[in-house]
Amino acid sequence: MTARASGAFRERLFEAWVELRENFGRSILQALGVLLGVASVLGGFSISDSMRKRSNEMFVKMGGLDKLNVQPKAAIRDGRPTALQQANLGLRDADAIGGEALKAEAIQGVSRQKFARARVVSPYSDQDRQVRGIGGDYIPTNGYSIAKGRGFSGSEMESGAPVAILGTEAANTFFPQGEALGQTLRIGDIPVTVIGTFQDRVFRFREDQGNQFWWRNRIIAVPTTLVQRRMNGDAYRRLDQVTFRIPDMGAMKGFALQLKNLVKSNHRLQEDFRLDDVAARVRRQESQGDAYNIIFMLSGMLALVGGGIVNVNIQMASLKERVREVGVKMAIGASGREVFKGFMTEALLLTAMGSLMGLLLGVGFSWIITKSIGIPLHMTPASFVWAYGLALAFGFLFALYPAWKASRLSPMEALRYE
Amino acid sequence: MTTTSALPTSVIIQTAGLTKVYGANGAAVHALRGVDLTVNKGEFVALVGPSGSGKSTLMAILGCLDLPTEGTYALDGLPVHGLSGGELARIRNEKVGFVFQSYNLLPKASIVRNVELPMLYAGVGRKERRERALALLEKVGIAEKADKLPATLSGGQKQRVAVARALANQPALLLADEPTGALDSKTGAEVLQLFQELHQQGHTLLLVTHDPSIAALAQRRVEIRDGEVVMGGTWEDSMSSQVPGTHLTEPLVGVGR
Repeated sequence: MTARASGAFRERLFEAWVELRENFGRSILQALGVLLGVASVLGGFSISDSMRKRSNEMFVKMGGLDKLNVQPKAAIRDGRPTALQQANLGLRDADAIGGEALKAEAIQGVSRQKFARARVVSPYSDQDRQVRGIGGDYIPTNGYSIAKGRGFSGSEMESGAPVAILGTEAANTFFPQGEALGQTLRIGDIPVTVIGTFQDRVFRFREDQGNQFWWRNRIIAVPTTLVQRRMNGDAYRRLDQVTFRIPDMGAMKGFALQLKNLVKSNHRLQEDFRLDDVAARVRRQESQGDAYNIIFMLSGMLALVGGGIVNVNIQMASLKERVREVGVKMAIGASGREVFKGFMTEALLLTAMGSLMGLLLGVGFSWIITKSIGIPLHMTPASFVWAYGLALAFGFLFALYPAWKASRLSPMEALRYE
Repeated sequence: MTTTSALPTSVIIQTAGLTKVYGANGAAVHALRGVDLTVNKGEFVALVGPSGSGKSTLMAILGCLDLPTEGTYALDGLPVHGLSGGELARIRNEKVGFVFQSYNLLPKASIVRNVELPMLYAGVGRKERRERALALLEKVGIAEKADKLPATLSGGQKQRVAVARALANQPALLLADEPTGALDSKTGAEVLQLFQELHQQGHTLLLVTHDPSIAALAQRRVEIRDGEVVMGGTWEDSMSSQVPGTHLTEPLVGVGR
C-alpha cells in the first residue's frame, strides 16, 4: 500500500490510456469533437494573425508607421474667410524647421511636400499630371528608393534646381523608348532634367489582387523649392504636407502636443492644420481587427462548446453502459473519488490528445484558408497555447458532470443495473 | 446469541441487530429485521433462504456494499457501520473478495487486468500487480489465457477468474453470491471444488445459495427467512440445530493465512 499517493497520477494516466484503448470507438468519437473545436479556434486565430501580419508588411512597405503628418485644413466653416484666415492658409517651411528643432534627438527625418498640377511634356507624351515637390527625407520616409541615377543634392533642394526623379510608370510614359535618365521633360514652361528613377513599387495584399501601390509609380518628383518658386508658390513658401518620423513611439504623443502648440502660434492662433499620427490611426484600424479576432475566437469557442456538449452526451450515454462496470469497480474497492478521478483523467487525456491532433488539423485549415485568400500564413505560438488551453479548460468543465454522476452511483444499485 | 464465541478463534463477521429498511415511512420495506450473525475465521458458511428473504441485502451489508439502517457490524474486528463511502470502498478493497453469479468481469479488460484491478486500487505497483495476478491465475488454473478477453472463456473459467480477482488482496472474507447459478452442474461442481480447496487453505467463505445440495458442502448453514436468521446464527447455534445428514467439520483455525 505504499504507492497510494506517489506515482498515483502516472498510474492513473496509464489506466486512463488503457480504458481509452479498450473503448476505442467511443474515444475516437469524443476526440473528434475536441479536435474540430481546437482546429477551428486555431484556424480563426491564425487567419486573423496572418491578415494582421500582412497589413503590417504593407505599412512597412509604405515607409513605416512611425510618422506624424501635418496637413493644412480649412479654418473656415461658414461664409467667407476673414483676412486673418486668408493670410494664414497653409503650412510653411518655418513649421517644418521649428518642429524639427522641438525634439531634434527623437526625430529621424522630416519630409516636406508641395504639390502642383502641371502640363508635363516629353518628346513622347504630353499629359496633365500632378507634380510632387519633395524635400527633406521624403524618399525614405515614404518607402521610395532610387533605382538609377541619384537623389536630390542639398544644394539642388536649396536652390530649386530644375531636376526630377521619375517613378517607373512616369518614366515609361514619358520615355517609352528607353533610358529616361539624362533626358529633359518640360513641366509647365520649365525644362527639367531627369537625374534619377525610383525603384518599382509593388504590393499586393492578396496574391490575386492588382498592385495596390501602382499610383506610387506615377510620381514625378522635383525639389519642393522648385514648385514653391516657379510653379505654385507664394511669399510664405507654403507647404502641402510635412511629415516627421519618430521611431520612439513613446516620444510621439508629447511631440504631437508640442508641435500643435508651435504651429498654432506660428499661425497666429488659427487652427488651420491637422495632425495625423499614422501609428495611432493604424492602431485604431487594428482594434477593428481585434473585433474580428473576438468573433473568430467566439466561433471557435462555440465549436468547442458544441464539442463539449457532444462529449457530455457521449459520456452520459456511455455512462449507462458503464454503470455495471462502475459497480464492479466499486465492489472490488474503487471509491467514488477514485471513479471520479478515473473519469476525469480519461476525459482530460482524451482532450489532450484530441487537441494535439486538432492543432495539426488547425494548421492545415489555416494553410488552406490563407492559401485561398492569397496571403502568406502566419501563426504565433500564442494562438497554439490559447487553442490548446481553451480546449483543455472546456474538456475539464464538460467532464465534471458525467464524472460526478458516475462517482455518485451506489455500488449496490450499479451492480444490479441492467 | 451475540455473546462472544466460546471457541478460541478470531471473529471475522460479528453483527448485532442489523436492520435494513428501504423506502420511506409509509411504504417502508423491512429487508432485514435484526440479524445477529457471527462467523469465525476459517469457516465455510452457506447462507440460505428463499428469494426475498433478505439474503442478498445481508450479503451486500456484509460485503460493505451497503450500510445497515440500524445495528452494528464488525468485519475482522473493525466496526464498519457508519463509515463513509470512501472508507467502505477501502474495506471492500482490502478485506472482502466478491464472486458474483454473473461473474461481473470487465468485458473489455484482459483477464489478467481484471485480476489486477483490486490491486490497482490498493496501490500495488504495476510490476508486482502483474506478477501477483499471474500467480493467482495459475492458482485457479487459467494462466495461459491471461491476455485474452473474458468473452473468450467458458462460464466456469470466467468464474475462476472472478475467484482469482476476489483473492487479489488476500481478503479476510470471501463472499460468493450464487457462484454456480449460471453454470451447468459439471462446471459448477468444479467451481465448488475450488471453493472447498480455498476453505482448506484457510480462507473464510460465505456462500449465498438457494440450492440445499450446495449448502450441504458448507461447514455450517445459516438460514434466513423474512429478514431474520432462523437458524445457525452462531457456531454453537448451528451445532445444536444441526440438520441431520449435512456434514460438519470443525472450523479450521489459523490455517493458511
